[in-house]
Formats: sequence, C-alpha cells, structure tokens
Amino acid sequence: MNNIFASSLRIAKQSLLHNKLRTLLTVIGIVIGITAVITVLSAGQAIKGLIIGEIEAFGSNYIQIEVKTPSTSQTSTENTFSMVGGATITTMKESDAEELAKHPNVSAYYTAIMGQEIVNYQNEIKKVFLFGTNADFVKIDTGQVEAGRFFDSDENKGLAKVAVLGSKVKTNLFGDNDPIGKSIKVGKEKFIVIGTMKERGASFAFDMDNMIFVPVRTLQKKLLGVDYVSFMTIQLIDNSLAAETAEDFKFTMRELHDITDPDRDDFAVTTMDQAMEMIDVIIVGLQFLLVMLGSISLVVGGVGIMNIMYVSVTERTFEIGLRKALGAKSRNILWQFLFEAVIITLIGAVIGIIFGLLLSALISVGAKSQGFDWEFSISVSGIILATAMSTIVGLVFGLYPAKKAAAMNPIDALRHE
Amino acid sequence: MTELLKVIDLKKQYENDEIVTKVLHGVSFNIDEGEFVAIMGPSGSGKSTLMHIMGFLDKLTTGKYIFKGVDTSNLSDDQMAEYRNFDIGFVFQSFNLLPRTSVFDNVKLPLSYAQNPGDITAKVKQAIAAVGLNHRINNLSNQLSGGEKQRVAIARALVNDPALIFADEPTGNLDSKTGGQVMRILQTLNKRGKTIILVTHEKYTAEHAHRIIKIKDGLVEEDLQVANHIEIKDGDELIK
Repeated sequence: MNNIFASSLRIAKQSLLHNKLRTLLTVIGIVIGITAVITVLSAGQAIKGLIIGEIEAFGSNYIQIEVKTPSTSQTSTENTFSMVGGATITTMKESDAEELAKHPNVSAYYTAIMGQEIVNYQNEIKKVFLFGTNADFVKIDTGQVEAGRFFDSDENKGLAKVAVLGSKVKTNLFGDNDPIGKSIKVGKEKFIVIGTMKERGASFAFDMDNMIFVPVRTLQKKLLGVDYVSFMTIQLIDNSLAAETAEDFKFTMRELHDITDPDRDDFAVTTMDQAMEMIDVIIVGLQFLLVMLGSISLVVGGVGIMNIMYVSVTERTFEIGLRKALGAKSRNILWQFLFEAVIITLIGAVIGIIFGLLLSALISVGAKSQGFDWEFSISVSGIILATAMSTIVGLVFGLYPAKKAAAMNPIDALRHE
Repeated sequence: MTELLKVIDLKKQYENDEIVTKVLHGVSFNIDEGEFVAIMGPSGSGKSTLMHIMGFLDKLTTGKYIFKGVDTSNLSDDQMAEYRNFDIGFVFQSFNLLPRTSVFDNVKLPLSYAQNPGDITAKVKQAIAAVGLNHRINNLSNQLSGGEKQRVAIARALVNDPALIFADEPTGNLDSKTGGQVMRILQTLNKRGKTIILVTHEKYTAEHAHRIIKIKDGLVEEDLQVANHIEIKDGDELIK
C-alpha cells in the first residue's frame, strides 16, 4: 500500500530541496516568531524561579499583613491607585501586631514602615530609604548583620536614634572606613551607626542594600510624626496551620479595627503560599501577553508562507497538471502542498527553538553577571507549544494555496508550460 | 480480438461565459486490444479532445465510453485519476518531464500515486531498460537530448504496465532520425501486445500505425486499415 502521506511528504521534501534559498527566506518570519515565543517562556520560567528562590530563602512559614483601601481587593488596580494617589491607611498599629502575637501559632513578628530622608555624613549627602522595624527583623528576615549589631527592643521602646546601614549606604557614605560608632544626620536628627548589613544582591523587590534600618518607633515619632505601620510579617510555628491562622488573624484584626463587614477590611492577610500563587498568576499572565506578541510574528510569517506557496503553485502549474495526468488525485496534490507549507514552518520552528534557547542562555549569562540568580532552563512545554503553533500556521496558511493547486484541471495545467 | 474500448455517439461541448463551443459531434468506433491506431486530423478537428476523453483527462458531454467492458461515461475525478494511473500511459509532444529531476524519479512518478506499486525500483529500472537508457538513469532530465527525453517519457508511460498508451504527436519536437527511433519503440511495444493510440496531424507519422481514424470537424471522416504501414527496421539496439 502506497501511503498517501508518506508519498506526499517525500514529494514535498524533494520540491523544497529544489528551492533551498526560497525555502530559507520563507522560513525567516517563522524563525523570529518561534525565537520570541521560546525566549519569553524561558525568561518567564527564570523570573519565576528567581522570585520563588527569594521567597524560599525567606522561608514559607510567614503571614504578611498589609494595609489596603477598604472595599478593594489587595491586588486590584483600585487599591494600587488609591495607595499611589496618596491615600494613606493609618489604622494599622504596632499594638495590632502585639495582639496577634498572642496567637499560639506565632513565634516572632516584625512591623515595618518606610520613609525617605536626606542623610549626610561629613560631605556625603544622600537621599535614602529608611526602614523602620522591630528588633526581631533580623531573626525573621534573610538580612544578616555584617558588623556591629542590630538594635534591640529596648532601643525601639526608648526611641533610640540608632541606625544599621545597608551595604550600599555604607559604601556610599563611608567608603572603606568603619562606620560603627559614627554619627550621621538623618533629616534633622543625629543617629549613631551601630551596625551594617551584609550585601544581599539584586532583587526584584526593594533594594534592601540601599536602606538604613532604624527602630520603627524612632522612625514614627522622631522623623515621620505618625503612629501607624504599613505592614507586619508574622513568623509561624507550624506552617501547616497557615490558612487557619490567617483566618484567626483576620478575625482578630476586624475586632481590633471594629470592622463587621469583611468588605470594609482595611488590611489584607496573605500567607506565603498565597503570595506564590499570586506571583504565578502574574507571571503566567505576563507570559501569555508576550507569547501573543510573539505570535504576531508567526502570523506575519504565515502570510509570507501563503504568498510564497501561492507563487509556487502558479509557477508549478505544469508540474501539478503532469502529476494529475499521471494519476495523482486532488488530495495527493493538496497534501503535497500542505506538507510543503508545514515542512517550511517546522524548519522555522527548529531554527527558532535553537535561536530562542541560545538567546535565553545569553540572557541568563547577562543577568547572572548583574548579580541575578537567573537560571537558564529549557522549557519543554515551550518547545511543544512552538512546534504545535508552527504546524498550525503551516496548515492554516498553506491550505488556500494547496486547495488552489488541488483544484487544477490537468489539461489546462499541462498547457501552461 | 478482445475489445478494449468503444465510443458510442460521443459528443463534447465546452461552455464558457454562456458561449457554447461544440467540439465533437457524435463519434463512434471501437478499438481492440493490441491494435496500433492513429487518430489523425488537422488542428481544431477535435482529435486532442477525443484523446483527452479516452485518456480519462476530460469528461464527455453525451454519449457513452465503454472501457474494458465498463461504462466509464460518468466517473468521479478520483476514479478518473485511478484509470489514468493504472490503465493509461501518456507520451506527450513536449515530453513533459519534471525539470531538474533524475530520469529515475521521472519514470517513478506514476508509481508514486499507484494503489499497489509493488517493487518500485525494479519496475522503474525495467522500464528504463526497455527504452535503452540504463546509462542515463541518474542523469537529470534537462541533461538529455530530445530523443532521450521522449524515450524517458515512454518509459514513464510503460512503468505501470498500462493497457493503453496514448502518444500525442510524439515525434513533433524531434528530427526525423530520432523521431523514427521513437516510432520504432512504439511499434515494438505494439508487437509485444500493447495497445497504442497515436494522435497526429501528419500523414507520414500516422502511416506507422495499422489503422487510421481520420477526424474532421468533430466527426469521424474515415476509418481505414493501413495495408502497407511504414515499418522501421533499424534502431533495434534501442530496445531491450
């Protein structure tokens, strides 16, 4: 039995080899599209790995409570806009955290508020982020003290004007000199440097190296003149109870804030598992968008293929007529031209996958040299997706020219020579 | 002898933008297996249309076409393709070989579409040997002389071992010597039992056949046996 697919495929292969240059030129559009798709998917995986790596380094047995605008969802644009627009939720207090810490599943916590101030030491003047927090911050966070010490809870209570410098701030203000015990001016207040933090490297979140850590109460009272905090991070004893604990926290927070309607919550409780899920959703959404953009190139490439196939069908009218005269059925011709289109797009897919992987590896090398822990990975689903997409492009855009070829009358086609 | 085909009151007209062109006005004859028939007529007589219908390349308008005892007047496109592939071999005036394609691949072409092609390589080699082109088997078609091209075309027509070979002005593009060689091959094939229908407008070429059906203005003008047909003696070395 002479399989129609096998023979059509063989004939298509021969025809394409006869027109090597044309085949290659036709392939370029597909190559660009597939390269884009592979690179985007691979980068997405790397970014996800990067963020998850950061979270995992931090540990997953945490619950974070942030302020939010009532009647909005935490990740909604309304919430973001009202925050950016200057609406400040002032209802979350350190006392809330103290109350939540009574929960049997809590081992430690820190609250935090951030501010920005002009800081100077001798002739060096810098605008620096201030991170006001509790003494337990160093227990919970991945940040480690390099020299000197972190402040203790008595210093927080006593509004001590002590500062721990992030590695960049230390370098910017002091260079190679030892800052411990030196006095710096933060806004109008004098602070004593009691410690410096280890370098943490690049991060997608805040640059913790470019911050000064001060006791949260000192920051509230001496510099910002406020009594609230922006968020708190609570360490759990048993993470398997994270969801229940989060519900308990919500209940307690509502009681403390006199809220009866959950819609009016002025806070958002997020477990680390939820945070991971959120990141996943964001990355998948972003990847989808970028893959769509890459697909535009595939469509453009597909139109190019349709154009070339159309010209090819016209040029090869005689050949089609001859094949039909010698016994080829319309579907033999249809498959021959469809296979030609699909082979072109598959060649494009193979080259595009290779280029995409090379580009992804290059990006990984570049990102690593910038200090990011950017893992190069081969996205198998990306390769499958790219192959499937290019096959579909070949079939869709090859169909019209192939139908035209299949519909030819052998006598007319033979006269065409 | 067994009847191979029969046309009965065959009519063909083309309709193009409501303009009707009548080409065949009612043609009837039959051809037996093993005959060597020339269909002869001036251009525009309808002989090519008649060949296209008998070769399953075109459909008749009215009348009947009986082939191997089967009424083939109303075949589907796919059925016609199967008849062309299995029962008919075509030799065209302009050779109609695929350019930049080897002799082997050109001859193989009909087998690519055969239902049960069998041993393709053996059949192709045998057909090429039959026209004496073994030494050219791997050459590309455009590296051949006109006579060689037409012999490749004959090999291609033979490869499926068809019941009937149509030769449409097979010597039209050849000089008289190579044209003679091609006629010699056709005559030899006929002697071995192949039915051959030669379509030509030249009296000399037609006289190589044993019977001439003259077509004029879409009708059979004359149907006669050729008492002393031209027999080509030389060129035996071309045929195995």
